[in-house]
Amino acid sequence: MKAPLKVLASEYAAALKDYLERGGEAPLFRAYQIGRDAVREGLGVLEVAAVHQESLVSELLGRLAPQGSQPIAARAAEFLAEALAPFEANRRGSLEVNTLLRDINSELEQRVGKALRDYQAAEDMLAEQRRLEALKDDFVSMVSHELRTPLTSIHGALGLLESKFGAALPEDARRLVDVARRNSQRLARLVDNVLDLQRMESGALAFDVKELCLQPLLQSAVETNQPYAARLGVGLRLDAVPDVHVVADSDRLIQVVTNLVSNAAKYSPAGETVVVSAERTLTHARVRVTDSGPGIPENFRPRVFERFAQADGSTTRRADGSGLGLSISKAIVERLGGTIGFDTCLTGTTFYFDLPLAAAPAEAPPCNERR
Amino acid sequence: VQRAPLKRVLLVEDDPDVRLVAALALTDLGGLTVEVCGSAREALEVGPGFGPDMILLDVMMPDMDGVAAFHAMRAHAALHATPVVFMTARAQPHEVARYRALGSLGVVTKPFEPETLADTLRGLWRDGG
Repeated sequence: MKAPLKVLASEYAAALKDYLERGGEAPLFRAYQIGRDAVREGLGVLEVAAVHQESLVSELLGRLAPQGSQPIAARAAEFLAEALAPFEANRRGSLEVNTLLRDINSELEQRVGKALRDYQAAEDMLAEQRRLEALKDDFVSMVSHELRTPLTSIHGALGLLESKFGAALPEDARRLVDVARRNSQRLARLVDNVLDLQRMESGALAFDVKELCLQPLLQSAVETNQPYAARLGVGLRLDAVPDVHVVADSDRLIQVVTNLVSNAAKYSPAGETVVVSAERTLTHARVRVTDSGPGIPENFRPRVFERFAQADGSTTRRADGSGLGLSISKAIVERLGGTIGFDTCLTGTTFYFDLPLAAAPAEAPPCNERR
Repeated sequence: VQRAPLKRVLLVEDDPDVRLVAALALTDLGGLTVEVCGSAREALEVGPGFGPDMILLDVMMPDMDGVAAFHAMRAHAALHATPVVFMTARAQPHEVARYRALGSLGVVTKPFEPETLADTLRGLWRDGG
């Protein structure tokens, strides 16, 4: 028995004795206070109850057995012990349960503590990751701005040179200015593409998704690329498009079609025609861009949508792209809930993408009533 | 209401080379009268004396950027009603929408085509009237 418990027991016994001898509320109240203070000081209720029980038993024993009558005292003690046995067992049981509960409690505390620490660590890691992502975003934006500023001067200066003095320049010089100008444009596209891809990856590229009619959109993409195709001596034709609505961002979708169309024109022999067409399936709209180029070499097919991937060999002859167009197109189509793919053989390639149809096409006005 | 044709443009751009190219594009090729400023603060000082029809304002500038300059101009007694066109690296559609929502006439993206820069500004000038 610990010291405070011992003190408690003797004080409690004294109060109990008082009560049994003289009666009245004062000793009872004192006993109550002793018990209450002990609990307040951290002693378990069960321990206090045990003190109460022991004091009561020993006091009653003292009273039942006359002075000096050992056998009677012994019998009474046995009898009481028997009578109290179930209570004692109960008390012991409670103590054991109490200890068990305490163990479980402390184990729980440890586990919760560990879980909390793990959670905090994970959260710290995530915050660090976000910080790095933000740093990367900032870096890419800054680089893109820093690249674009000199590009603006180069591109502008060459344009001015061509416009103001083009006629006065010797043929060779004019061609060189043209080379520089086209390549400054290419560099500008590359910067745009890198920025687009990075924004797409970080989820920062905002999509303005609306229900769109496919026909005018394809029309616009084809018209935009007409001059480019014409320069390459390649025709560009848009076949009849069914009245179909998709849910998409029109600028981004035009970007995809433009990528596919300019690619197709690039790889088509002069005199051929690139055909853009669309069809409607039960659930999707499929847009196809077909060229009559040499087809995609078999060993390159798995890497078509990879970044900076371009087929080697003679087919790069007219390839002046960034090598990012198809990976951007794929990312855009997938972000719009669609898929992109291609069929290719030695006489041509068709790139196609599928987009989900707008949910309730019946409610949308027909395409020709828009615009 | 027929608006008077665009004549005078205040060009605010911190990069000297871009400034030269844009100024030449607007004057030599575009036939406009241009005053150039290397910073927003300079524009706020020089602008009122020049009396521009329009301000072509670069967005990314040190010290006071285009958006801050725009607000300063809106609060400026002599410049508060002068239409502003922002000039910036290729902006996302929502950024363009934000520049428009501020009350600008529109956005010119970099790199621009020198041959068409003045026409672009005239188009914005006409449509924004």
